[in-house]
Amino acid sequence: MKKTVLAMVSGLAIVLAGCGQSQATAPVAKKTAGPVTIVWTASPIAGLGVRKTLISLFEKSHPNIKVKLITAPTSTNTDKAALTTQISSGSATPDVYMGDVIWPAQFAHAHLALDLSHHLPSSFWSRFAPGLVQGASYKGQVYGAPFYMDSGFLYYRKDLLAKAHLPVPKTWAQLVSDSETLQKDGLVKYGFVWQGNTYEGLTCDWMEYMTDAGGTVLNAAGTKAAIDSPASLKALTFMRSLITSHVSPAAVTTFEEPQAMAVFDAGKSAFLRNWDYAWANSNSPTDSKVVGKVGVAPLPTFSASNYPGHSTIGGWNIYVNPHSQHIPQDLTFIKWITGTQAQTVLATKFSEIPTNYAVQKNPAVRKVNPVLATVSHVRLVARPSNTPIYPKVSQAIYSNINAALNGSVSPSVALKTTQTQINQAISQNGL
Amino acid sequence: MAIRVSLAHRMQRHRPTRYLVSQGWTFALPGLLIILAITIFPVLYSIFVSFNHVAITSSGFKLSWVGVRNYRTIFSNSLYQYSLVFTVIYTVVTVLVELILGMGVALVLNALSRGRGFMLALLLLPWSLVTVISAEMWSYIYNGVYGVLNAILMGVGLLNHPVTWLGTPILAIISMMVADIWKTTPFVAIILLAGLQMIAGDLYEAADIDGASAGYKFWRITVPLLRPTIALSVLFRVLQAFGLFDLPFVLTGGGPGHATESLALLGYQVMFQDLNMGRGAAIAASTTLIVLLASLVVLRVFRAQVEEGAS
Repeated sequence: MKKTVLAMVSGLAIVLAGCGQSQATAPVAKKTAGPVTIVWTASPIAGLGVRKTLISLFEKSHPNIKVKLITAPTSTNTDKAALTTQISSGSATPDVYMGDVIWPAQFAHAHLALDLSHHLPSSFWSRFAPGLVQGASYKGQVYGAPFYMDSGFLYYRKDLLAKAHLPVPKTWAQLVSDSETLQKDGLVKYGFVWQGNTYEGLTCDWMEYMTDAGGTVLNAAGTKAAIDSPASLKALTFMRSLITSHVSPAAVTTFEEPQAMAVFDAGKSAFLRNWDYAWANSNSPTDSKVVGKVGVAPLPTFSASNYPGHSTIGGWNIYVNPHSQHIPQDLTFIKWITGTQAQTVLATKFSEIPTNYAVQKNPAVRKVNPVLATVSHVRLVARPSNTPIYPKVSQAIYSNINAALNGSVSPSVALKTTQTQINQAISQNGL
Repeated sequence: MAIRVSLAHRMQRHRPTRYLVSQGWTFALPGLLIILAITIFPVLYSIFVSFNHVAITSSGFKLSWVGVRNYRTIFSNSLYQYSLVFTVIYTVVTVLVELILGMGVALVLNALSRGRGFMLALLLLPWSLVTVISAEMWSYIYNGVYGVLNAILMGVGLLNHPVTWLGTPILAIISMMVADIWKTTPFVAIILLAGLQMIAGDLYEAADIDGASAGYKFWRITVPLLRPTIALSVLFRVLQAFGLFDLPFVLTGGGPGHATESLALLGYQVMFQDLNMGRGAAIAASTTLIVLLASLVVLRVFRAQVEEGAS
């Protein structure tokens, strides 16, 4: 027993020593002539082969730069923990990394991302769709280049709505009544599935209802919580009513994207709130029983005159490690991957939503699938992530909203607790 | 025990020379250095960090001494208090249940005359699975829409509606305990089985001759002689259960609400998601301290009982 432990430990030590060496040799590589290799850490992107395709195209047009791909963990939080540990300890690799759109403030504050506005001309940023650069900024400086974007969409069963002669819902009330009709007629088991688990995804869903109802998380100056409001109460009461009226299964409070997707793909729900990838997923014969029966629309809202409802912005940026030894090459890579060629490939071959505005508006791209055609009609809302304490803010939101959804506290108590916890986080008195 | 006796015996016969002692240290040195580097140093360093405010700057970490401020912050925080209570209750309940079930399993295995090897291998399956993987399996079992547990219970008519096992605090905590007990009972059983097999059979024969009942034999022979083994298994389990991380990380993410947020999960959250290294280190260090105290108490209690039994 002890021997195996020791063997494992010494094995680990060798691995660790190996890591140290590869890092130590990184600066040397810079001095040698010939192609420079930059390391790109990126988590797997939904469509297979996206990263490799992009890298081989890039290397073809830039023979002096090689890109080494490191696959990051699929869990965003694990990915973040790994990057934080690596970069904060001064590692020169990865040179560039893919990171969540909610990271800029925290990463800028902790010196984990390079201030790109110092290195790229202001004209560079005009290529992106409106709002994206704002989202990648902290205190007026831009820390990430938007790589591909995402937002919440309403997926619905075309066939069921047609059978029951129902329109695609434009209000939440309509979605509920459509669902109840379909459920009563025995056409489908559940009305609507979404993401209600204790995690970041619930904050995304929450932002949509709360903003539709007219609420905000923070006050205008961003100095205090404003979430305990009548608007929030309306939003939360509605979300809870989805569960009590059985339009959504009780288990929705434990759902993340894959669980909600699985219920929809199995043909057990009429409506689904999900991201861009749900289109391809629900139309893939290996995963789905509802191939060809799915439609997509912007999310509903509370009053028809305000249609469409808000959709939370998701997606990924490319960041540069401030300790990178190859910053000029990193910037070349960023310019290329946000340019028309890469972004068109990303959209047409892998149906990701491009961040490059010209590509996003290109009719050929909009023809690829209905999601890409719907993007321009969506009303976007960003999470309040322009503060370094955003993880605490989001945690306060998703843990308390989840508690209200599963019925362990009332909506008004949940909102009061959220308010207190956010204020604690702002005053740095929380954990 | 037996090993210690024979070693002492041998040492009396051949007193080691100074040369042998120094050779022993030389051979042990690489191992000791590794342990020093990857266990003792990080623990001491994280205790040091917990007394500092940590800023991540462009040139690395910048520590500034703040004394016990991090500790004052965490101890007065209601989330930390809840996590502490949850972790303690979780540890006590799971270890107790595992000890009782493990004892039962060990007694049965010990009484088996055939197929013990096969049964042992079967029992070891849950224990040999990586927790993250078995937790993922449990999350499918517990799923509130297509979970197999609901399907079975509804199939036999025990439930009318599917239950969201991980959706409400009490159910989620119990479900997690079940997953833990399923996985770790075999471990306890095997340690106890080893202890049982060391008890000399003639003690029971003598008791049989005196007409002792089965219960009497269990409480007066088995349990007292098994005490060191029980202490060992309890110690291992307390250390492990108190560091609870992978089950809630996979099954609930600490939810519903904060219901299953263990100290280790909270520390991870504060340290690696909020990037608050000082407070995260304080949570980690306090956890270490508490579990160290708990282990000392366990050892003290069992040693006292063993000595009492011997006298």
